[in-house]
Amino acid sequence: MQVQELVGLVPWTIIAQILNLFITAFLIKKFLYKPINEVLEKRKAMADAEIQDAVKAKDEAVAMKAEYEQNMQDARAKANEILTTAQKTAALQTEEMLQQANKEAAAIKVKAEADIALEKRKAVNEIKDEIGSMAMEIAGKVIEREISEEDHEKLINEFIANVGETS
Amino acid sequence: MDLDISGARVLFELPVDLPFLGRLQISETIVVSWLVMLLIFLLCIFLTRNLRVENISKRQALAEMLVDTGKNFVVGLMGEKFAYMIPFVSALFVTSVISNLISLVGLRSPTADLSTEAAWAIVVFVMITKQKLKANGVGGYLKGFTEPIFVLTPFNVLSEFSTPVSMACRHFGNILSGVVINGLIYGALAGASAALFRLIPGAVGAVLSKIPFLDVGIPAITSVYFDWFSGIMQAFIFCMLTVMYISTAAETD
Repeated sequence: MQVQELVGLVPWTIIAQILNLFITAFLIKKFLYKPINEVLEKRKAMADAEIQDAVKAKDEAVAMKAEYEQNMQDARAKANEILTTAQKTAALQTEEMLQQANKEAAAIKVKAEADIALEKRKAVNEIKDEIGSMAMEIAGKVIEREISEEDHEKLINEFIANVGETS
Repeated sequence: MDLDISGARVLFELPVDLPFLGRLQISETIVVSWLVMLLIFLLCIFLTRNLRVENISKRQALAEMLVDTGKNFVVGLMGEKFAYMIPFVSALFVTSVISNLISLVGLRSPTADLSTEAAWAIVVFVMITKQKLKANGVGGYLKGFTEPIFVLTPFNVLSEFSTPVSMACRHFGNILSGVVINGLIYGALAGASAALFRLIPGAVGAVLSKIPFLDVGIPAITSVYFDWFSGIMQAFIFCMLTVMYISTAAETD
């Protein structure tokens, strides 16, 4: 069998090896790098999408928190307002009630006073009559003579009128 | 005991005879190269089977690691603009490694033929020159040879051509030396084995001395260096030099 030189250049072998090298490069590019790179790209895209989702979720959470805090603040403010209004209303009502009570008390007082005066007059009148008749009887008994009743009454009435005025 | 270390055998000849190129001989080198290419192709197919985005297999992890290593090697040393070189440098490395290691199964390494390294060095030389022309223009490229003084022009030209020559010869020399030394070790151990067993008298010694018992074991240890280490190292050095020369050439003077 023919043997080539141990150390020598064979043009055809060189050409073949150059072609072989480029074919191998093409094979590696097409069958190793391309599919692997595609998978790597896909994975990267997936990771990116997940990160984006996470960022979005975080933004949403922050927005929700802000909204919640706003709501809380609103609620607190409203509660305060309601409390203030209630306090004001209560104070107002208390005052009104007090005033009304005072008014009523005053009215009762006035009425009581009027009643008292009326009763007093009534009592005075009764006493007047009583005293009149008593005086007449006493006088009749003392004097033991019949004077006209009309004169008597006149006399007593004058007397009682004087008494009532002085009392 | 005769030791025969020869060049690549010519397996068959095609009836093509061109001037300068000579007769088209299909040598062992070319056939084993085809085998190496087939191996690389099958390896690529095997590594990229059932690719998944999530929950990847060990095979896919290995494939991704290889791709990443290739990318980092080329992009790390040459920069992002040379990303298109990744498949080429990977092909160079993997072809070289598998060619160097294929001698382990008894085939003749395509890299034990200077023509193979010469072919690669020519490709690298063309790439270097292309980058230099691109960076400096034709005028700048030619002017670069006359620097720093005109007298040095022949030496500059010489140094320019010595780049591919040294690259090819370094790789070839290392692999060939491995082949030669392994051949010597095998031959020597076979001789020693024959001499040792011939001490046994009679027919037993005559039969046993024909079997090179000592060839089992020791060559496996020496081949760790001469085949594995040297083979992978030379492939790495060749790729490293390719990458460095090309990225240096792309810089403007």
